[in-house]
Amino acid sequence: MAVDTLPARTAPRPQAAPAGPTPRWRNKETIAAWLFILPSLIGFLIFTAGPVLAAGVISLLNWNLFSSPTFAGLKNFARLGPDPTFWSALGNTAYFTLVSVPLTILVSLGLALLLNQGLSRIAVFRSLLLLPYATITVAVAFVWIWLYIPHGGLANTVLGWFGINGPAWLISDFWAMPALIAMSVWKSFGFGMVVFLAGLQAIPQQLYEAARVDGSSAWQSFRNVTLPMLSPALFFVIVTSIIGSFQVFDQALIMTNGGPGSRTTTLVMYIYRTGFENYDQGYAAAQSLVLFGFIVVITAAQFVLQRRLVHYDN
Amino acid sequence: MKELSRRSFLKYTGAAAAASGLLTACSSTPKGAATWSMWSSSPAERKVWEAFSEYVQQQLKVESIPSLTPSGGYPTKLDLQLVSGTAGLVTALNGTLIPTYAARGAHRPLDDLLAADPDFELDDFYPAIRKISTFNNQTYGIGFDVAPTVLYYNKTLLAKAGVPPPSRTEPMTWATFRELAKELTRPPDQYGFTCAPAIDDLVSWIYCAGGNVMNDEGTVSTLDAPEASQAIQFVIDLFVKDKVTPPISNLVTESSSANFMEGNVAFMQNGPWQVVNIRKAKFDWDVIPFPAGPVGSTPRVSGSAFAIPSGVKGDDLQFAWKLLKTLTSTGALDIYAKAGRNNPARLSAGSAFKPPPDNLGVVQEILAGKVAGGHPFDVTTNWNQVKQLLGQDLPRTFLGQVSVPDALNGLKPRLDVLMKQHQDNIRQAEARKG
Repeated sequence: MAVDTLPARTAPRPQAAPAGPTPRWRNKETIAAWLFILPSLIGFLIFTAGPVLAAGVISLLNWNLFSSPTFAGLKNFARLGPDPTFWSALGNTAYFTLVSVPLTILVSLGLALLLNQGLSRIAVFRSLLLLPYATITVAVAFVWIWLYIPHGGLANTVLGWFGINGPAWLISDFWAMPALIAMSVWKSFGFGMVVFLAGLQAIPQQLYEAARVDGSSAWQSFRNVTLPMLSPALFFVIVTSIIGSFQVFDQALIMTNGGPGSRTTTLVMYIYRTGFENYDQGYAAAQSLVLFGFIVVITAAQFVLQRRLVHYDN
Repeated sequence: MKELSRRSFLKYTGAAAAASGLLTACSSTPKGAATWSMWSSSPAERKVWEAFSEYVQQQLKVESIPSLTPSGGYPTKLDLQLVSGTAGLVTALNGTLIPTYAARGAHRPLDDLLAADPDFELDDFYPAIRKISTFNNQTYGIGFDVAPTVLYYNKTLLAKAGVPPPSRTEPMTWATFRELAKELTRPPDQYGFTCAPAIDDLVSWIYCAGGNVMNDEGTVSTLDAPEASQAIQFVIDLFVKDKVTPPISNLVTESSSANFMEGNVAFMQNGPWQVVNIRKAKFDWDVIPFPAGPVGSTPRVSGSAFAIPSGVKGDDLQFAWKLLKTLTSTGALDIYAKAGRNNPARLSAGSAFKPPPDNLGVVQEILAGKVAGGHPFDVTTNWNQVKQLLGQDLPRTFLGQVSVPDALNGLKPRLDVLMKQHQDNIRQAEARKG
């Protein structure tokens, strides 16, 4: 299918004043546009760009928060190489991302497809399914701690009905991370579901009718109509989920505190501990910049891929 | 739309900046007020600090403004206040963090103020809290509480099992304790012992065996030395081999006091700071000295102190010293002790920390060296890091996932790196002092 582009601007330019053209920045529309984006721009500069720049400067310093900082050059970055905790935290974060993002997408997409079947009271189901996403992670994490109690917890009680002796989820070397992933998928599928549902409802019905006329099966309709038409939504959810999962922190802190051993220590948790418990601000900033770099590279790669895989069509 | 000139844009921006400045000024602390910070995690605790605050107002005739923060978030909030210059004139510090703050220059030594104030009775404070509040031979804090770890026991459970109550003053040996714990364990309904699977509780056993986390100079780790490793093995055996402890379901929320309050655990290792919570128990209980290891009953003694941030200077410093003296006075500590929060750091306020339980007085007898003994909690200037490292690997021994020798062999080189860092911190602190 052809990819539409934005229509060319056809509105006539305002006539130039006799004294000469008005500078572009004094143009009413330009000023209005800037005023509209100003609140967001101020927020971005203060809370995003500022801290990233500050992290860049702090990463070059030895600073314990209280004494005057001293220049360290690139030493903080050099410390990353031989630091086993950093690499293990990075590995744990990658594991979390690689498993939780596809699972979240599958669950959200599956539920969105179910809700799109013309159910009555869809708004009620949608709201109920969105509740986990709208609930504070700390509260949810405590509830899941109770679910995971080895003796008498809901998870193992249910497994027990099928004759399965459930593990000690949060203290098991093998199961602690999958337990966190399950909780995170449950917590975040609602967001993707709502985006997918909006995407599904925007797909013109005549495309399905045309597919039916051509003798497409349900699977073929899904593969050749739904997926391509849903690809912008899918791309958006994948990008935001990957960024979010690279920053996983609160559930791991509350449910396992990074343990057992360092099996669930994530990169953001390690950065927090380095900066605010060990007072090693320079090293924490260096780690943050590396994480920032990872996220930028992965997101950029996704944007390159989207040109081939994502289908924009009105 | 009306065109916005550059001048008006700047005017509006300036007005917005002025307004935000005004708001900031309004939110700052009034000059001359007695500002101090403290952790507080429950309404009962808040009540005690409010009573403290009233006492300060009565004594100093100025407004008292305590900044109360839940204990979990207290260090982070304090850090941010110290860095931004908004900390109170006096701040409470947990004893384990005094060297951390002192070595980084966040708080000032008090020796000059003590020297200029001969009326201040430093001798009225237990020696243990004076040691805990000292770093690099300088006093950084004045204590408000101090207490040794003791053994709580469930009198009702022991009586039901036909076990005579243990001696109120004579610590039982580790061997006796182990046998009793085994005898009183009937899983899954009843257990002999509970403690936290963490270094904070392990150190008491290590000290009783004559060991320590690091050597006296703090240059190398000694956790793998025979004394320390045997003590750790003894405790791990209670969990893994003898199974006298309730099963651990989660390392984060595991709480020995919650286990003990269930009423089906015979002994609990904890400090007298838990007395206020255990009083809610629906069974008879009491406290006794900690079991005696190879070198006797010398469990961890911990405490907390008030200190003055380095940024407090000039007239504020004199006022801060007055405030600190008021907060650690016998009158203030009486309020603290009467509320049952913990044993006060002053001997003269000791009588206010009253039973129940019947044998609560043993706490002061231990601190005074009349019964058993204690060992001030030895920590480093990077104790958070040490604790973090130990908190990663030691709990796995409690779960039986890793053997004690394997865990200690893995920890030793990493602990030694932290000891080197600790020495660097001390050198930097000395350079600052010099």
